[in-house]
Order: sequence, then C-alpha cells, then structure tokens
Amino acid sequence: MSAVAAKPQAGGAMNPTAMGVGVVMLLIILALCWYVSPGAGLMALVGVIIGGVLIGFGTHFVPVGGAPAAMGQAPGIATGVAMLAAGAGLAGLFGGAWAAEQGLLVATITGGVGGGLMMAITCMMVNFVYVFGMGIPSASGKVAKDPITGDTQAEFKSQGTEGHGLPFVSFVGGVVGGFLGGAGGTIIYLELLTLYEATLPLVMKMRPAEVMPIAVTAAGMFAVGLFLVNAVLTAYNITGTIEGPHDPKFKRWPRAIVASAVASALCGFVAILIVAL
Amino acid sequence: MTVKVEVIEGGIPHQKIMIAGLVSTLVCLYLTYLNVVTNTEMFAFFGGLAVVTALVWGSHTIKVLCSYGIGTGVPSAGMIAFGSGVIAMLLATKFGSAAPIVALVLAAVIGFILGYISNNILNMKIPAMVQALTEMAVVGALSLMGFAALITGGFTFADLTAGEVSMFGITMGSTENSFIGGGLIAAAFLLGAIAIQHPFNATLGPGWKQDRMLMLTAECGFLSMIGAAIMSFAFISMGAAMLSLIVAIIGWAYTYNQYICLSKRDAASWLDAKPIPEMEGH
Repeated sequence: MSAVAAKPQAGGAMNPTAMGVGVVMLLIILALCWYVSPGAGLMALVGVIIGGVLIGFGTHFVPVGGAPAAMGQAPGIATGVAMLAAGAGLAGLFGGAWAAEQGLLVATITGGVGGGLMMAITCMMVNFVYVFGMGIPSASGKVAKDPITGDTQAEFKSQGTEGHGLPFVSFVGGVVGGFLGGAGGTIIYLELLTLYEATLPLVMKMRPAEVMPIAVTAAGMFAVGLFLVNAVLTAYNITGTIEGPHDPKFKRWPRAIVASAVASALCGFVAILIVAL
Repeated sequence: MTVKVEVIEGGIPHQKIMIAGLVSTLVCLYLTYLNVVTNTEMFAFFGGLAVVTALVWGSHTIKVLCSYGIGTGVPSAGMIAFGSGVIAMLLATKFGSAAPIVALVLAAVIGFILGYISNNILNMKIPAMVQALTEMAVVGALSLMGFAALITGGFTFADLTAGEVSMFGITMGSTENSFIGGGLIAAAFLLGAIAIQHPFNATLGPGWKQDRMLMLTAECGFLSMIGAAIMSFAFISMGAAMLSLIVAIIGWAYTYNQYICLSKRDAASWLDAKPIPEMEGH
C-alpha cells in the first residue's frame, strides 16, 4: 500500500448500537418486501437472506493466507478472501444449478458438495506445492496443538513466521467453508429462479419457455453479485487473513452474520423489485 | 477521455475526478440515447466511452480506499463494486430513459448501506469507507450500463432482453440471443471488474503516480471496450459495431502508447529487450 494513512482498527470488539441498527434495517427491508410482494417475494427474500448468511459464515472457515502465505510466512491458501470465496461459491453454484430441477434439498446439497470439492482440491494442491515445491512443513502459528488431530505445532514452525502450509484443521475448515458457501450460493440462485420463473412471464408478457433464459441469467447474475458482496464483507470482517476455525478471528462471526443478513436482504429486495414493480 | 490526465503537483484531487467522472459518464450514457432519437445505432460507441470514464473514476476511488491498508487485497474492492453495481443496474434498466439516473441513485443507496455495514457493524472504522463504497457501487452500475449500451445500442430492459434469431431466412424474436438471456452480462461484468481493480493493483507502491495509474485504467477500459465491441456485432448493425471497434482500437493504441511513455518516465532505467535472436549454430 502506498500511503498508509491509518491502520484499520477493526478488532474483535462488537458495536452493539450498529448491530441494533442493522437488525432494525433488516426488519424494515422485510416489512417493505411484505408490502410489495407478500407471498412469493417474501419467501424468496427469506431464502436469499439464509443463503447470504451461510456464505458469510462459511467464508470464516476458509484458510486465507494472502501475500504472506505465498512467501511461506503465514498459514493458509496464498490468495485473498474474495477470490477463494468466489471460486468455491461459483463452483458450488454451477454444481447446484445443474441439479436445480431435482428440488431445493438435492440442489442445495449438490451445490455444497461442489463448493466443498473445489476447496478440497485447492487445499490439497496448495499443500502439495508447499511441501514438495517450497519444502516447508505445515504448522499453525495460532494454536499449540491441532484441535482435530492433536499434533503439536511449535516444533515445525520456523522462527519469525506465523506458521506455514495448511495444517489438518485448516484443510477441514476449507472444505466446510466451501460446502457452506456453495450451498448458500445455490439457495440464493434457486429462490430467485423460482420467483422469476413464476412472475417474469406475466411481467414481460411472454410464454414461460421464452423467458427461461432471462430468468436463469438474471437469477445467476444476482446470485453472483450477492455472493461477491457477502464474501467481501466477510473479508472486511476478518481483515484479510484467517487460519481456519481455530483462529481467534473466527470469534468475530456474529458481526458477519448481521452484516451478511442486512446486505443480502437489501440486495435481495432489489432483485425482487425487478418483478414486483 | 474527458478526465484530464496530466501531472499536477500532488495530482488531481479526488473530488474533481469524481465529479468529472460522474458527469462525463452520465453524458456519454445519454448520448447513446441519440440512437432512439435518430433511429440509428451509430451512437452505441458512447457506451464504451462511458465505461472508460466510469472506470477512471472508479480506479481512483479504489486508490483512496485501499491506501488505508484494508488488508483484503485490491481486487476485492473491484469485486464488491461490480457485485453491488450489477444488482442496482438490473433493476434500473426497468425505468426506460431514466435508467442511468435511477442506477446512480439506487447504487448510491446500496453502496451507502454497504459502507455503513462495513464501517460500523463490521467495525472497520475507515474514514473513506462509506464514500468509497458508495462511489464504487455507482461506478459498477454505470459501467455495466455502459457495456449494455455499447453492445445492444440501448440501456432499457426491453433492449437488453430482446434478441433475434434467423432461421431459413425468417427472423424471429428470441430471448436466448439477448444481452441478459445470452449471458453476455456475465462477460461484461468481468471485463469491467478486472479493468477496475487491475490499475491500482499494478501501479501501487512507493513509486505510485496518479497520471500513470489513470492512463493504465483508460488503457484497460479501452481493452475491455474492444472485447465488448466485438460482442456488439451480434446485436447492432455492422457499421455501428465497426465504428465502436475502431474507436476502441484507436483509444487503446493511444492510451497504451501513453502508458508505456509514462512507465519509461517513472522507471529508474529501462532496457528495450529485443525478442530472442535466432542464433545460428549455437
């Protein structure tokens, strides 16, 4: 960064007033949606909010290392939250979209598996590169013992680093995060697709088969937009890097839940207005 | 290019870039409306110029935001810009000729609330956050609308969902061959998102110079415009699409040359490395 004017002061602290304002905003948007489109619209909005919250919560599990990880000085995958979450979420979204005709449950799980699979492959290849390419073992700097396997970490950690590679718990966190993100993205897509399929023929005065491409693309674009908004807000919450579910930053998740819920409600409401107005 | 890009002591203030970017983007978007007035498609290329001006403004906003060291990487700012922008833009297209103004207002509201969420609920406490996210959502929405106008010649919902398919010499309406139905909006989304986040990501550092970054943004914008102009052959008349393509190529060649000149100016030294020579018998 060129001119570092001020470091972000985002600590673990909560801001109760702002959280309250957020909940009030959420309720206002829900009320507005109920006023504009009481039946299908409100159902879709609730689905979008659930999906958005799943994305926001799931992103906390993904081990994001950023630039320090690329130099082997911090654990995690060496890229930013937005890229990883978008990769996992979109892989899941595409998986879920294929299964859209099989019902909400099957499609959501398919989307989750797609996202989880993408993260599992990424984590494995990242560890391959770390261990066999860069010659560094996997060690966490935040905990003394791996919470899942119980392996000690300190003796593998190089001096002057915060750990390196992807310890087992980070790997599991990545897969869980990919699953939640993929499932969340699929829920948003399916809810909006169902709404558009039902209402767009009336709005555009066309046959259902004719509006299908519009419904699919609009729902897909809104899902992608919502996904990126939620992923970046979560990235702001964890200020860039996180090791996985064992990282102290993981405890900030309640803030992200409120933030994701409000942001998803807002964007989802706008997406519903396109057919409700 | 309506934003003046030249060296001034300390650079052009952000406020000036913002106002110039906003005004020129809206003017360019409304110039594409001449298509409807004159019943041609020759003015579609103004959509591409709207994209370039919006991106120049947006990349400077990213600079303002990311100089606080938000720790999430520069690309994330481009992603949230277009993520929130696409949502506002799609709804705004429903409002006919008022679409650019509605997109501006709607994106500003969405961006403002997202800024409040990040600054207060997520406790970022970055002074420029709210304004930057508001601007960025507007930039995202307006540049997507510019791409839409460039590719289809219009920015209303009817224009973006209308396409035609010709079979055995008969032309029929088909939503599948439209800007939204054909998924071209996804390509436009990434063309813009990459063009907005790349310039600051590429030029940041102690040697950052404002005019070099803005020139790189214009170059990226015109490069995206070339891609979008090629897509526009499917929607608008051959002459109009060719005009867009020529404008884009001229703009790109000019800004690319300028960018290389500025890079040479700012470099400590440079060597014109020739292509690998063919060594006979080596």
